[in-house]
Amino acid sequence: MARPTTARPGPAREPAVVRVALIGTALAFLVLFVCLPVVAVFAHALEKGLGAYLASFAEPDAWAAIRLTLLAAAIAVPINLLFGLAAAWAIAKFDFRGKSVLVTLIDLPFSVSPVVSGLIYVLLFGAQGWAGAWLAAHDIHVVFAVPGLVLATMFVTVPFVAREVIPLMQAQGAEEEEAALVLGARGWQTFWRITLRNAKWGVLYGVILCNARAMGEFGAVSVVSGHIRGKTNTLPLHVEILYNEYNFVAAFAAASLLAVLALATLLAKALVEWKSPELRHATRERAPFAEGRPVRS
Amino acid sequence: MSITVRDVSKRFGSFAAVDGVSLEVPDGELVALIGPSGSGKTTLLRIIAGLEVPDSGTILFDEHDATAQRVGARRVGFVFQHYALFRHMTVFENVAFGLRVRPRRQRLPEGAIRAKVDDLLKLVQLDWLGDHYPSQLSGGQRQRIALARALAIEPRVLLLDEPFGALDAKVRKELRRWLRRFHDELKITSVFVTHDQDEALEVADRIVVMNAGRVEQVGTPDAVYESPATPFVYDFLGSVNLFHGRVHRGRVQIGGLEVEAPEHREAQDSPAVAYVRPHDIEVERGHTGARGMAVIDVIVRHILTAGALVRLDLERTDSGGIIEAELSKERYRALDLRVGDRASVRPRAVRVFVN
Repeated sequence: MARPTTARPGPAREPAVVRVALIGTALAFLVLFVCLPVVAVFAHALEKGLGAYLASFAEPDAWAAIRLTLLAAAIAVPINLLFGLAAAWAIAKFDFRGKSVLVTLIDLPFSVSPVVSGLIYVLLFGAQGWAGAWLAAHDIHVVFAVPGLVLATMFVTVPFVAREVIPLMQAQGAEEEEAALVLGARGWQTFWRITLRNAKWGVLYGVILCNARAMGEFGAVSVVSGHIRGKTNTLPLHVEILYNEYNFVAAFAAASLLAVLALATLLAKALVEWKSPELRHATRERAPFAEGRPVRS
Repeated sequence: MSITVRDVSKRFGSFAAVDGVSLEVPDGELVALIGPSGSGKTTLLRIIAGLEVPDSGTILFDEHDATAQRVGARRVGFVFQHYALFRHMTVFENVAFGLRVRPRRQRLPEGAIRAKVDDLLKLVQLDWLGDHYPSQLSGGQRQRIALARALAIEPRVLLLDEPFGALDAKVRKELRRWLRRFHDELKITSVFVTHDQDEALEVADRIVVMNAGRVEQVGTPDAVYESPATPFVYDFLGSVNLFHGRVHRGRVQIGGLEVEAPEHREAQDSPAVAYVRPHDIEVERGHTGARGMAVIDVIVRHILTAGALVRLDLERTDSGGIIEAELSKERYRALDLRVGDRASVRPRAVRVFVN
């Protein structure tokens, strides 16, 4: 584990005791607060055997919750991808009035409690809300229905793509785009062939995080859902209902799905980070290349 | 293709980057825009390219107004200071970019594009680097690829923004000569921005000296170096000694020295500054009166013998100011000066500006 591999003392080396203590503390913390809960989820889910575990997914309500979760993510993530790209492009490559306001607005969902974001939609579209009467007259259901869930999910996941892509695009500057324009490329060609290609790893990274949050969101969704079984329950809400009913195997089985999703996200995130040099050191990218290699002429 | 800049101005907030500039670049010339940072030279270049829109004024390419033309339609080759190569494309694809983004009807067939890119890579002598990525190249190689990429669209004019600014001294010198040869072969109207006077003097057919958003002087390297039109140009191009004095009816009084300045015959006892290049300073051993000539007495403070010429820092005995003088090695040996020795100087050629 924390076995010192090179015993040679160096200027930045602490004594073995300190190293073991530090690494041990960090590991103990990780095991206690991260690994144990994950293991517990799977242990509880499989408590009554694999049969009971799988049977809990055969429930139509469980299926409905999975489908709804996937649907909400399938709508929210692409829309936020488009919005995030457009916003990042505008913010990183252009100067305009109200730029700082836009940046602040993008961050708003991070600073607002998810419950409040859910409440906003109830206040706007609920039966007593501003648009409530009009919506009821046209038989459009937003709150306590799928559109409300999608809206709430979209709101809380707004910052993810934009926040990942803006610093990357800013670090890359606008020179390559200018070069493309001078060479005769149209605006769309420039965006597609230069801006997007250069930002692709950041975009992918943002999408992965956005997706994880979209599927795992509880607070905002809980407020607008109404908890109608088989209709407006997403996976996280489904877990809560089952747990409150003391149906532990089914609750932990559903939770284990979310845990698998989280682990897959971590893996995908690590892969993207490993694949992309820009994300590892986005700011160092523009440092001038070392000179001194012979130029053949 | 000639370029005409007519009364162009551009402000950034309250800062006038380019202030009423007019300029002619004749067909086939290589022109250097030179000036200190913030003098507006890069902004002017970007306005010619169409990357900036001027607040007022017009840009003409061969008598045709290009001011409202979008940047991609102007067919200019632009080489960026930091190359701006597309980092996710190979060298080959970088050069091919301008050919590939053309509308389908004007696009060359793939074979023709390949042949053309190969030709361009040969032209810049880097055909063996086609499948490399920009990050694998040295600075000088990147610069030449940037040039090949700019030439791919058969530009009508070539604009270069500090083309050698990010390179080390040796590569810089090599590329400078290479650019000059290159221009002599292609004869494409070119404008390049630089803050390096040696670069401008060595490479350009004509030099445009800019200061604070305005053009100070336009002329051949010889003309701007030998007869600067303003004190600024004198100061900016090459090192120079300043002598403060008074001018009266065509004669300038500097310390104990009197010099003819016939161009200021009307001046009535007004303060003036005389500019003298270090190589126009004549140095003699010993102080005043050796041969009864009017001179300035100095003491040798520092001697720099490295290089083709010997540079002396001489301290004036009257004002304590430092005079820089350049001598040939032979003259230096003949004078046999040491640090601390007394000497006297006399300007051979003076340019006087009345304040």
